[in-house]
Amino acid sequence: MFKKILIANRGEIALRVINTCKEMGVKTVSVYSEADDKAVHVLNSDESYFLGAPEPSESYLNIDKIIEAAKKTGAEAIHPGYGFLAENSSFAERCYAEGIVFIGPPAKVIDSMGDKITSRKIMNESGVPVTPGLISAEADHNVMKSEAEKIGYPVLIKATAGGGGKGIRVVNSEDEMEQACTSASREAANAFGNGEIYLEKFFTKARHIEFQVLADKHGNCIHVLERECSIQRRHQKIIEETPSSVLTPELREEMGKAAVAAAKAAGYINAGTVEFLLDENNNFYFLEMNTRLQVEHPVTEMVTGIDLVKKQLEIAWGDKLSITQNDVWGRGHSIECRIYAEDPEKDFFPSPGKITYLDEPKGPGIRNDCGVYSGFEVPVDYDPILSKLVVHAETRESAIDKMIKALEEYVVIGVKTPIHFLIDVLNSNPFIKGEVYTNFVEKHFSEWKPTSTNVDIAALAFIIDGLTSNGKAKTTGTVDKQQTPWETLGNWR
Amino acid sequence: MGDTRKLEVIVEYNLLVNEEKVSVEFDQKQESLKAQINEKFYDVSFQRVSDSRLHINVNGQSLNVYAGGDDTKTVIINGRSFEVSDADLMEQNKSRKKSMDKDPTEVTPPMPAVVISVDVKEGDKIEKGDAVIVVSAMKMENTLFAPFSGTVTKVNTKEGDKVMPGDILVDIEKSELDE
Repeated sequence: MFKKILIANRGEIALRVINTCKEMGVKTVSVYSEADDKAVHVLNSDESYFLGAPEPSESYLNIDKIIEAAKKTGAEAIHPGYGFLAENSSFAERCYAEGIVFIGPPAKVIDSMGDKITSRKIMNESGVPVTPGLISAEADHNVMKSEAEKIGYPVLIKATAGGGGKGIRVVNSEDEMEQACTSASREAANAFGNGEIYLEKFFTKARHIEFQVLADKHGNCIHVLERECSIQRRHQKIIEETPSSVLTPELREEMGKAAVAAAKAAGYINAGTVEFLLDENNNFYFLEMNTRLQVEHPVTEMVTGIDLVKKQLEIAWGDKLSITQNDVWGRGHSIECRIYAEDPEKDFFPSPGKITYLDEPKGPGIRNDCGVYSGFEVPVDYDPILSKLVVHAETRESAIDKMIKALEEYVVIGVKTPIHFLIDVLNSNPFIKGEVYTNFVEKHFSEWKPTSTNVDIAALAFIIDGLTSNGKAKTTGTVDKQQTPWETLGNWR
Repeated sequence: MGDTRKLEVIVEYNLLVNEEKVSVEFDQKQESLKAQINEKFYDVSFQRVSDSRLHINVNGQSLNVYAGGDDTKTVIINGRSFEVSDADLMEQNKSRKKSMDKDPTEVTPPMPAVVISVDVKEGDKIEKGDAVIVVSAMKMENTLFAPFSGTVTKVNTKEGDKVMPGDILVDIEKSELDE
């Protein structure tokens, strides 16, 4: 096994990797920017290496500096976490060229899976169902129209490059087609330098179900069950769970086989995720493959007992997979809630700031992958994720109960969080019934406001806090403020 | 329960909880209080656990509540957060500023200043709000106005004088009509 690895990431995911490394006896090097000198990954690694200014281009996205850090500290491998350089093929290529192991798939797989048309082609040729539509880029509006006629409106016009919702248009009828193609193409050309577009079926009511896969360098590939990730806001998942409440054992087996076929077709190595759309009639379609460790990987770990980061390190080292498909089975139910510094009343707008108080929930079956602490200043420069709260219980019903209890015990003061919102979602009928589709938040919670129960108790708490404030240690306001004459005037002017 | 619920020493607070007005009347006895909000009565005992944490018991219900912040506090109860402020205090702060603008009681400079002009002389009858003296400080001119209607009995300064806060620059005898 590696003696020392570098983690090219920050916050909770860097700490997550560090924890497994500690258990495995692998030394860790963390890297950090000016904004992060007191971040959890720096405080908990064996060594840390300063990269530069807070801007990602000067720090966590700076390939030269990260390679230099690995060389200077003698790290044999680099774990990229998620985000930043995790799906950057040039970075994977550079690691290889410098003789450093990239803990992830080969660069060419990152490239082919990162391109929507290439990945659609690979899957289509290997018999993995893809969403109905075109398999290559198309510039002719008439071809677009006839394809749309064939598969039925609504359809999506999508840029072949990039992501993040850019270069995508929903087309509901033929007369919208030309305009949508022109604007999607123009937007894509501006954003990605590539105006190529194609067309696929748009599903108004679909579930987002993904399969975790593990593939070693010796041709072994297994899936590690599914995750249901339909609850999203701002095109980003906020609640994930496993197992999915709609998969029958037969459908699970069928989709799992398709996921393994997809990974094999891609020539995949290491841990990856195959995303599917599942329509109302239980037809599933390949959506894309994420060539990294997913944010929501803990739910899989909870039900299977498999440490996915440990598997990543073993695979990268060249070990054969120590488990077969038959060794993988899930026990109970796991749910993850993402806790961001954001304001659920203001369209989940980021809410950076200093965390003045933090109390994490504890108890059997509760895991909180947390990247912050009381007194930590949440930087404005990065994704404002604070932690991932994960629970594991016997059934979906008891997992929901456990998650609600855990959220109720989770106290964060200083930044806004969606904790209150998440409690309301978990308590809602559609969630309890498992009616979770990708439009869940906009359909049921678009105008969410905090519920007004306990207003009286909040008022009493405010008064009691004031009455007992001399019992408080003075933390602020002890320094004599220099007063200007204008403040000491009294009744004048 | 009627008698025990009677509040003896009543303190009244008007609070804003998530922008909702909540009036609380209460009577505190060391680590307990009785309160009334709208028509509801609350028997509350409490203890401070840490700077941010209180343990309270409200009508038999045991709760951990968390509070942080200064004028507007974030109060967290069972994962639900509330923004709470004292509406009266906010109002007071506002009206204090107003009174500074509108209701001076004597003619005195706000800070060390130089008199630019004296606009009244002894014996003048003046109306409340009339300009009396203009001073300059920190390159800003300020006009001092008559705090009430009356007759100027004495002018204690002249142009160019350096004056200090508290110096009464003009004595005015209140007119009885004004009372």
